[in-house]
Amino acid sequence: MGAVLTNPLRVGLRQERVIPPQCLVIFGASGDLTHRKLIPALFELFRQRRLPSEFAVLGCARRPWSDEEFRSRMAEALANEVAEHPLAWEQFAAGLFYEPVDLQDPPSVVRLGERLAVIDRQRATRNNRTFYLSVSPTFYGSGCRSLAAAGLLSDPARSRVVIEKPFGRDYGSAQELNRVVQTSAQENQIFRIDHYLGKETVQNILVMRFANTIFEPIWNRNYISSVQITAAETVGVEERAGYYESSGALRDMVQNHLTQMLALTTMEAPGRFDPESMRNEKAKVLQAARLANEDEPWKCCVRGQYGPGGSSSKPITGYRQEPGVNPESTTETYVAMKLFINNWRWQGVPFYLRTGKRLPKRLSEVVLTFREAPVHLFDAAGGAPTPNQLILRIQPNEGAEFKFEVKAPGSGMRSRPVDMAFSYDDSFGEPSDEGYVRLLADAMLGDPTLYTRSDEVEAAWRLYTPLLELIEDAPAQLPVYPYEARTWGPGAADSLLADDGLIWRRP
Amino acid sequence: MSTQLTLQAPLVLPPAEVPGHLERLWSDELGSSHGAATFTLVVWEGSWLEQQLVRCGRLDGPITGLLNDTVLEAARAAAISCGLPLSTAPMDPQLAWAIGNLGGDHHAADLRGQFVEGAISVHMPRRLITFAPTLDGAKPLETLVAAYCPLPEEGAGGDACGDVVVLRGGTGALRENLDLVQPLISPELPCWVWWNSSLDEAPEVMTALASGNRRLVVDSSLGDPRRCLDLLVARVGAGQPINDLNWMRLRSWRESLAMVFDPPSRRDALNHVVQLDLDVEGDNPVKGLLLAAWLADRLGWHLTATYAVDGDGSGQGIGAEFERTDGQTVRFRQMPVPVGVPKTHPGAMVGLRLICQSSQGSPLCVILCSESGGCMRLESGGMASMELAEEVVPLPNESEEMEMARLLSGGHDSTNPLLAVAAPIAARLLP
Repeated sequence: MGAVLTNPLRVGLRQERVIPPQCLVIFGASGDLTHRKLIPALFELFRQRRLPSEFAVLGCARRPWSDEEFRSRMAEALANEVAEHPLAWEQFAAGLFYEPVDLQDPPSVVRLGERLAVIDRQRATRNNRTFYLSVSPTFYGSGCRSLAAAGLLSDPARSRVVIEKPFGRDYGSAQELNRVVQTSAQENQIFRIDHYLGKETVQNILVMRFANTIFEPIWNRNYISSVQITAAETVGVEERAGYYESSGALRDMVQNHLTQMLALTTMEAPGRFDPESMRNEKAKVLQAARLANEDEPWKCCVRGQYGPGGSSSKPITGYRQEPGVNPESTTETYVAMKLFINNWRWQGVPFYLRTGKRLPKRLSEVVLTFREAPVHLFDAAGGAPTPNQLILRIQPNEGAEFKFEVKAPGSGMRSRPVDMAFSYDDSFGEPSDEGYVRLLADAMLGDPTLYTRSDEVEAAWRLYTPLLELIEDAPAQLPVYPYEARTWGPGAADSLLADDGLIWRRP
Repeated sequence: MSTQLTLQAPLVLPPAEVPGHLERLWSDELGSSHGAATFTLVVWEGSWLEQQLVRCGRLDGPITGLLNDTVLEAARAAAISCGLPLSTAPMDPQLAWAIGNLGGDHHAADLRGQFVEGAISVHMPRRLITFAPTLDGAKPLETLVAAYCPLPEEGAGGDACGDVVVLRGGTGALRENLDLVQPLISPELPCWVWWNSSLDEAPEVMTALASGNRRLVVDSSLGDPRRCLDLLVARVGAGQPINDLNWMRLRSWRESLAMVFDPPSRRDALNHVVQLDLDVEGDNPVKGLLLAAWLADRLGWHLTATYAVDGDGSGQGIGAEFERTDGQTVRFRQMPVPVGVPKTHPGAMVGLRLICQSSQGSPLCVILCSESGGCMRLESGGMASMELAEEVVPLPNESEEMEMARLLSGGHDSTNPLLAVAAPIAARLLP
């Protein structure tokens, strides 16, 4: 959302919960995520007065940095914010510490425990810790084990572990990882992060649905004919080739972010807004979700990979030409698929999911298309009346839009579609917090509502298992179609909808 | 959430034995439970209204200290019997005082400190210490102790327990035994001191309880306005964390007004405010003044004059003039208005009118009305040519305990910065 002049009456009105005294321990503190997302989010929380004075951040990685070096590297990474708020940074940075730790080396983890005890005394953080695993996914299980072995997860009320995505590579590995982390800590100590859930507009799906009475009665198979969920990126693989080559769009985007949007769009209303009620409903709906054709999954999914594109003055490199990518790579950078949800609310309604890199626009949205009017009384500008659509814009231009038919001016009775729009910018005019601000705060508050539970993660992996198996065992059956960079994906993806007489929304 | 009673019947002990008993309680009886590492909550629970209503037979016991609908209904009925104006708020200390002049000598069990509102118990206070002053000022001190484990609701909760300590007696006896309490407050845990009574009473007790960096919670609608505002200013000035439930009840008014100016197209109007009018219930001006002071601070207005204004037979209002950052004048009027069914606390907001007049475009008139009261007075006169933004402010309708629970859940260990700057301006606004 664009930043505009602040509403002076809004300043200080949000009295959010203050995080209790604690030490946040970041493993992988020398990595990108720490200085790009985590420390900026923590500094934002500090400036919002949501961090108590009894607070510390302990960065951990294998590099032999000192506290001072860690502080200066973070200050360098946040140069603009530091320049803007030098005094606040000085106070915040006094609570930044660093300890070289190798999670695979037990004596190193024991030393970590000793260092935490010292910080507890220095900063009065009361043995209360949140451990953030921003490390390679291969170390999630062993990392939890090491922390548990050192006794650092023994108090469920005072220790939590945040685990980054991806949580597993498939259903089996997710189950195994759940088993390992659950032997190290209780489920209520485990926070599996999906940063999409930290987005204001993703949370707004819930508020729109369950704080208004007009939507819920029509939010079902009787009124909705299809749903499209899109997460489109304009960027390519960037510096993540190593990770992306082994993951692809299905694992990187669909299994987590798109599936969470699907769950929030389709879940039943929880009895109350608390972690278990929310996650029960999400898990239930994901357990009812199925690929449109599980026996022949290649018929309900299309994979693509971007090739070169752009103009002669601004050429765009194809995926296989990106640094670090195998020139023969069959990793998908685009995926589109059709799902059904086999429950009373959604039976028979197709859900179309798509995501891709190097598409023409960066956007995420959920589009609910309503059934046509049963009788066409009026001439429509487009031949037939356009079905009503509710578009929930997750990013950018955050907001919502409702398309409906009105009488076109003139003596006849012709109808034409118009938009009724709500925009966060126009209504609130304030930038919202980064997703990590919300999610980090929630983890440190011990509130897992916006984190995924083990059964949710497993249900999400199980949903895509037929596709993952096909890619593994018979990739030729699910070919990777090339598409030109900055186009809306391979033509085969259009066929997926054309068979149902539909087209993708062109945003 | 429902209220919860301590699981054990409290044990009446001689005061000197309380610390030893609590130690034994934790080492023996609660050995399998770990105490909640949360906070200590000390409450001065006057409950004079409830005590007086019970004494004169207008309310059945027991006395719980909870302000429920039955108490409020009895209080409203008693206001009429006492010859007080209809608009007397049930929690107005004048009402309890007036009921005190009615006859009657009924008694009921006094369970203050033994009922815990579910919204508070969910935060698992480690120790709840309740001072329960009695109508009989000469009553000697009684101390009661019980273990307390919040009931897990629908799978939530845990095995963390706390304890409750009740000190009951005449104010004099409570005052003399303040030393007993100090060792019961753990220095390792945050301590909240909730003065759930008029700020006019027992100031020396409040001073003793709310010492150091304990987090004081008061209600500035209860007591003499000058005393209430001066107390807020003094505590803010001394750097003590202080929270005001009266200020917290303004939340929906601040939020509603901010909401009007959320659309960027309206922001500029805030630089051109020429008039602010407030209507409040009855003759307690504190809440309205805090709202005006907040607005003045947020918009950078400088107070230049303040004076009393005669109302139209409905009491005395307050007028003031502010200077905007561009040197233009903002006129402020706050008037008391009579209401048929007053809200629980004195001085509740009825309406707000803000007129913004810039050199370009038509003036903007913002009117906020209380959900229950409406604000016909503010809607009248000369607004036909203005762009009108009218909103109804929802009633928070939350009990003291719910407000307190909101504070506890926030965990803020310092004074709300908006209150810290608004209180001194409000104090200066009071003529």
